[in-house]
Amino acid sequence: MPLPKKVKKNISLTEPKILLERRRELLEKINRDGTYLPKSILHSDLDGGFLDFVKEDLKLQVDGKVVPTVDILITTQNWAQFTQTWSFQNQDKNIEPPFVTVVRIPEVKYGTNPSTMYTIPNRRQFFYAQVPTWDGQRGGLDIYKIPQPVPVDITFQVKIVCNRMRELNTFNKIILEKFSSRQAYTVIKGHYIPIVMGNISDESVMDIEKRKYYIQSYEFTMLGFLIDENEFTVSPAVSRLVQVLEVDTKVTKRNPKSPIENQTSELTVQFLSGVTTIHQLFNYTTNLTVGSTKNVDSYDVFINNEYYGSDISEIQINTNDTLKITIVKDDNTKDGIIELESKLL
Amino acid sequence: MSQNKVPITRLGKFFGDEDFRLDISIGEEWLHGDMNFTLVLYRVDRKKTKTDDVYGETVKDGVKFLPPVEFKGFVQILAPENKNLGNSKLNQVEPGNLKVGVYQKQLDELEIDINFGDYIGYYESESRVRYYTVTNDGRVVSDNKHNYAGTRPFYRSIIASAVVDNEFRGL
Repeated sequence: MPLPKKVKKNISLTEPKILLERRRELLEKINRDGTYLPKSILHSDLDGGFLDFVKEDLKLQVDGKVVPTVDILITTQNWAQFTQTWSFQNQDKNIEPPFVTVVRIPEVKYGTNPSTMYTIPNRRQFFYAQVPTWDGQRGGLDIYKIPQPVPVDITFQVKIVCNRMRELNTFNKIILEKFSSRQAYTVIKGHYIPIVMGNISDESVMDIEKRKYYIQSYEFTMLGFLIDENEFTVSPAVSRLVQVLEVDTKVTKRNPKSPIENQTSELTVQFLSGVTTIHQLFNYTTNLTVGSTKNVDSYDVFINNEYYGSDISEIQINTNDTLKITIVKDDNTKDGIIELESKLL
Repeated sequence: MSQNKVPITRLGKFFGDEDFRLDISIGEEWLHGDMNFTLVLYRVDRKKTKTDDVYGETVKDGVKFLPPVEFKGFVQILAPENKNLGNSKLNQVEPGNLKVGVYQKQLDELEIDINFGDYIGYYESESRVRYYTVTNDGRVVSDNKHNYAGTRPFYRSIIASAVVDNEFRGL
C-alpha cells in the first residue's frame, strides 16, 4: 500500500525558495549554461522531453528487469527500420513484448495553457534582459527582446504491450501514482512543462485463434510552448534618435511691449581736491550724456585705457567697460564736478 | 465404472469396419511414410505449473512440462500477416497460424492428448524451429469432415499460434 501523501519520503536540507526568490531561481535555471536568452524550444525538443519523461519517470520493472522503452517516437516512417535494429527482437525481427512505446498524434493544436494563450497580439517583442557589452573601447548595454511564447498542446499515447496482467497492473500503478493530481511536470531545456493525463483505453488483441497480448494506451497532453530563437532580437540600448517637431504655422500678433519707465538716471562724478582722475566699471550697456560741469576746464575720456575723446558730450559704454575720466580743474584747491545722464540700452 | 461401448453398424452394407481401418492405414502410410511431417509436442504439466492465484497466469519460470513427444501430422502454415499491433502504429509481420491434422489413432498409440496452451515445435529448416501454442485443440470432431463417410471420427484439426521467445523457446 502506498504511503499517505502527507508522509515525506525525502526531506530537503535547504529551505525551498518561494515567491520572488523562486522566480529568480527559475530564471537562473532557464539561463544556465547558455546565453542571457532562454533556450529555444520547438516541437522536437518537446517530443524528446516527453520521451525522456516516459523513460525516467514511468520506468517499469517486472520480475527485477526493466521493461524496455522504445527509444524513438513512433512515426509512419521509421518503425519498420527501427525494429530491424532494436535489441529486443525475436527471430522474425519483431519487437519482443513486454515493451513500452510512445506514439505522438501528428497534429499539434493551439495550446490551452491559460497562462500563455491569447494574451498578447501580433508577436510583439518584450524586454527580457539588458546585457552589458564591451567593444574594447566603449562599455554599453544590449537590450534582449523576445516575443511571447506560442502555446501548443501535443497529444501523446504511451502504450504498453505485454503478455501478462501483472505487467499491466504495475505500469498502471506507476502512472496513476505519478498523475494522482491529474498532472505532472517535466523539465525541458530548463522550462517546466505540464503534462495532463487523459483517457486510458485498452487495445488488447483477444482473437481466439491469434496470438494474444495486452495493449493498454494512456493518453497524455503536454501543455507546452514554442520559443523560437530566430525571433529573438538584440539591439543596443543607446541608439540614434530621430526627433520630429511639429509646429503651428499660423502667425499670431504679439502685444507691443510696454515702455520701460525711468530708463535714465543721473550720475554725479565728483573730483575731490587734488584728484583729477577717476575709474568706473560698468556692468551694463549705457549711453552717457555729459551735462553741466563745475570747476572743470577740460576733460579727457578713456574706455578700457584707450583714448575715447576730449570734451565730448556723449560716451557709449558697453557691458564690463572701464571708464576713465581725467580733468583739468580751474582751481586745484576745490572740488570739480561733472554731471552725467545715463540711459540704459 | 466400466464404459459401455456401442458398436457402430451404420453404413455397414457399403463401408465396413475393415474398409475403415484399411483407408486409415493407407492414409497413415502416406502421411507418415511419404509426407513425414514431424512435430514435437510440449505438454504443459498442469499439476506442477505454478500460477498466479488471482489471474491464473504463470509466474516467472513457473511453467513445467511433461516430456516432449514427437508426432506426425499434416502441416499447413498460413501466410504471415502484416498488420498493426492493435490500434497502434506498431506494424509488424506476424507469422501465420499452424494447422495440424493428426490421426486420432496415433495420439492413442502414443498415449498423448493435445490441449489448449500446449506448445508445438516445428522445424522450418535444419536450424530454425518455430514454436506455436495451441489455440484450438480440435477436440470437437462431431462434424462430417472429421467423420470418415459418416462412420466415426478419425482425426483432429489442431490450430496453433506462434509464440514469442520470452513466452516459450523450447526446453
